[in-house]
Amino acid sequence: MSRATQSVLVRDDRTLYEAVAGTAVGLSGVAFAVGLAALLGVVTIDDPVAGFELSVAFGAVLLALGASVVGFGVASRFGYVDAAPQPSAGIVAAAAFTGIWFAVGAIVSGAVGFGTGGRLGVGVILGGIAFAATAFPREDIGSTVPAGAVAGLCGLFLVTGVVGPGWKQVLVGYNAALFGDTVVPLIVLFASLVAGWSAAKAYGGFGARGRNVGAYVLIYLVVCSILVVLIGLVGFVTVNGLPGLFNGFGVGGAALISWPFLTNGAGLLADIAGVFPALVGTVWLVIGAVLFAVPTGVGAAVFLSEYAEQGRFTGAVEVATNGLWSTPSIVFGLFGAAFLIPRFGNQKSLIAGMLTLGFMLLPLVLITSREAILAVPDEYRDASAALGVSKWQTIRSVVLPAAIPGVTTGVILGVGRIAGETAPILLTMGGGVLPAKSAAPNVLSGFQLSASPPFVSNPALLEATSALPYQLYALITAGLSGNIQNPQEYAWGLALTLLLVVLVFYAVGIATRYYFRRKLHQ
Amino acid sequence: MSLTPQTDWRASIERRLTRTQEFVDDTDPEALAVVLVSMGSLLAAFVGFLLASPWTAVPLGAFLIATGYGWARHQALVARAVTFAMTTVTLVTLGLIVVFIFAESIPAFQYETASVFGVSVPGLGMFTQARWDAVSEPVRYSLLPMIHGTVMVTTIATLVAAPLGVAAALFIAEIAPPRVRELVKPGIEILAGIPSIVYGFIGFTIINPWAGGAFALNGGSTYLFVGIVVGLMALPTVVSVAEDALTSVPDVMKDGSLALGATDWQSMTSITLPAAFSGVSAAVLLGVGRAIGETMAATVMLAGIPRISEPLVNVFYGYETLTSLIARGYGSANGVHESALFAAGVVLFVTVLCLSIGSQYIEARMRRRLGGVE
Repeated sequence: MSRATQSVLVRDDRTLYEAVAGTAVGLSGVAFAVGLAALLGVVTIDDPVAGFELSVAFGAVLLALGASVVGFGVASRFGYVDAAPQPSAGIVAAAAFTGIWFAVGAIVSGAVGFGTGGRLGVGVILGGIAFAATAFPREDIGSTVPAGAVAGLCGLFLVTGVVGPGWKQVLVGYNAALFGDTVVPLIVLFASLVAGWSAAKAYGGFGARGRNVGAYVLIYLVVCSILVVLIGLVGFVTVNGLPGLFNGFGVGGAALISWPFLTNGAGLLADIAGVFPALVGTVWLVIGAVLFAVPTGVGAAVFLSEYAEQGRFTGAVEVATNGLWSTPSIVFGLFGAAFLIPRFGNQKSLIAGMLTLGFMLLPLVLITSREAILAVPDEYRDASAALGVSKWQTIRSVVLPAAIPGVTTGVILGVGRIAGETAPILLTMGGGVLPAKSAAPNVLSGFQLSASPPFVSNPALLEATSALPYQLYALITAGLSGNIQNPQEYAWGLALTLLLVVLVFYAVGIATRYYFRRKLHQ
Repeated sequence: MSLTPQTDWRASIERRLTRTQEFVDDTDPEALAVVLVSMGSLLAAFVGFLLASPWTAVPLGAFLIATGYGWARHQALVARAVTFAMTTVTLVTLGLIVVFIFAESIPAFQYETASVFGVSVPGLGMFTQARWDAVSEPVRYSLLPMIHGTVMVTTIATLVAAPLGVAAALFIAEIAPPRVRELVKPGIEILAGIPSIVYGFIGFTIINPWAGGAFALNGGSTYLFVGIVVGLMALPTVVSVAEDALTSVPDVMKDGSLALGATDWQSMTSITLPAAFSGVSAAVLLGVGRAIGETMAATVMLAGIPRISEPLVNVFYGYETLTSLIARGYGSANGVHESALFAAGVVLFVTVLCLSIGSQYIEARMRRRLGGVE
């Protein structure tokens, strides 16, 4: 974004009106957060708040929000405050409120007991009224009254206990039912969102500036929720997985560090079950895929950006690359099963998994390497050519070194992605649910030479091998049970190990990018 | 130019021939021979591998030796030839995928032949009735229940991923101060990195039991929550592609709008978003493709019964999607049943490939319209 707006052009007179509107925005933010907590079960809706049940308190807050939002609009309409509303709230807002009120009408009349026709009728009538109320009056009325009415109606339901703890609605025909425990938080989330948006518009004084504030509030909320989900997910897996991961962990003693979860198998001989075979399997899988995909992808990127003339061939390769990039992983699995398995001893094998993941990694490497090579400034190439150096010398000594940061980043991020893939190796590599330590593949010492074709063989590559994501899947399908002490704890530890392996790749990849970028800008 | 297309075509071949002739004349004959041997043996190795011949190792060895020798003596030419061979790998891979999964699915398409107006169409039976039963008679392989499941999951996932993704992309590209962007962008990349089986594991152990209680369901598998989880997984794709599109809108256009006194939001809605509209819709299309192809979360969280939910829009029960059908059934299936799984793969592959090509077309159009901005 251009930074042309950084100079301060904002009015600095804080009026009472703005203060009240700001408070309303804050209040809806609080209601949203508490509603989210109620939905996730952190608090329950019949918890007492100041002598009332939480759901009644929610209702009171929503009523107050609705009333104040309507108040903002009315105050602006009669000129009590200095705002700059436009003639209409606009077609987007009108469409949104039409939809919202149509839904409200259909749901409420359905709950009262209307048939399909009646529900549609009530919905259409309410939607039409909402459309008229939004589109025709001036913006300050059009974007507050329908919003305030939504919040107020929701608040009314909650305060009067029409919807509250113990409320239940059977969905006829769906074989399901709605309960107050989930519906009340949802109502609160929705109503506080609408009221918060409207209050934010009022805070900005309607008009262009008000819309700016309203939109920003919504976008910030979206981004915050995404980050909360991300942190929540990672944190949740971490908290649940730590006991399993550090089961029997000790520092000191003969081995300096003993970490049985990572160094044990899961057989009868292991007193603490571990994930060693799957971890080794994942490592070999990644190595194999990288050995296949990285030279191929980088070479192809060099040819496409340095040698090939833009034409039908490069166009076809580009379409094929992007097509491969978006091909579902399970299709790669099917392909590996149909193409590779018959050619490697007719059974699921480590090498089939490696090559399948290599095929998946190839487009990622190709796309990022090509971007990195294209980003090398042409001046570099020109300067090298001006010295009388041949084209290949230029590529080898100038272009590739300059492109290495981008290539490295792309490779690491791509590896992080395929290390967590389950579907392809499910069909091509297999492995046991709880492999013993002896099941870990021993690739390095497995190579054998023979006098008959194919002359070189390696049994370790031709055996079904477990990997972290596959083992997690196999544990789930086995119903999280097995011949180990605490399968639940084991599975969470396994999930955390997998997550850590993948996140380490991502962290390293992102850190590499920042490191090189900073070096570039010095 | 008064040339007909045919003579034009001939002229181009002739031009190419002369150019090849010149190239051959200019090049060291030994280098040429080495490259020819190396490429020839690579081709032979590929053919040998296709035929599953145990002798594949011989031409492969010849390729390695010829290339190694050429690398030492004639590096430039060998490098060019080898990188060309590497470039064809993507095309060859795509071709092989098409050939192999189509070939494997032929028996199922033949089994499910149905006649329409007296003409028998192979595979039509997969879409005209709704029974999938590989065990008890009558054995039928309809894909309709799974297509219904995929449509349900993808619709919900798109409802989650598209608005959230576009909003987050706007935030990263236009709104966020640089320091915040440096935090949010990697955060969303990391979201893309969480393996789908981990999502599935959380869904299986936490969400499914909770949903079963919270909605008084018979079991806990729901299209609703599978859709939400898959939407979260498709979100990073939408964000990164849409963000690329938004940042590729020239700053000049935004500056012009801001100079007229428009607010940031006005510039976004009336300049940036319309200019980047094709790119943003391509992002959503790619997100849809991701959602359709998402496998593990669906496999683990769904019930695994090929059935269409009653009524059609019942999101509180989740049975099976195309992807989960394959993941669950492969291995224990054989014969026509296995072939039917490949048929499901064909449907998936063709759908997603069409989405990918469509979004590439849209993106290319946008680049042209923005006047070669890339």
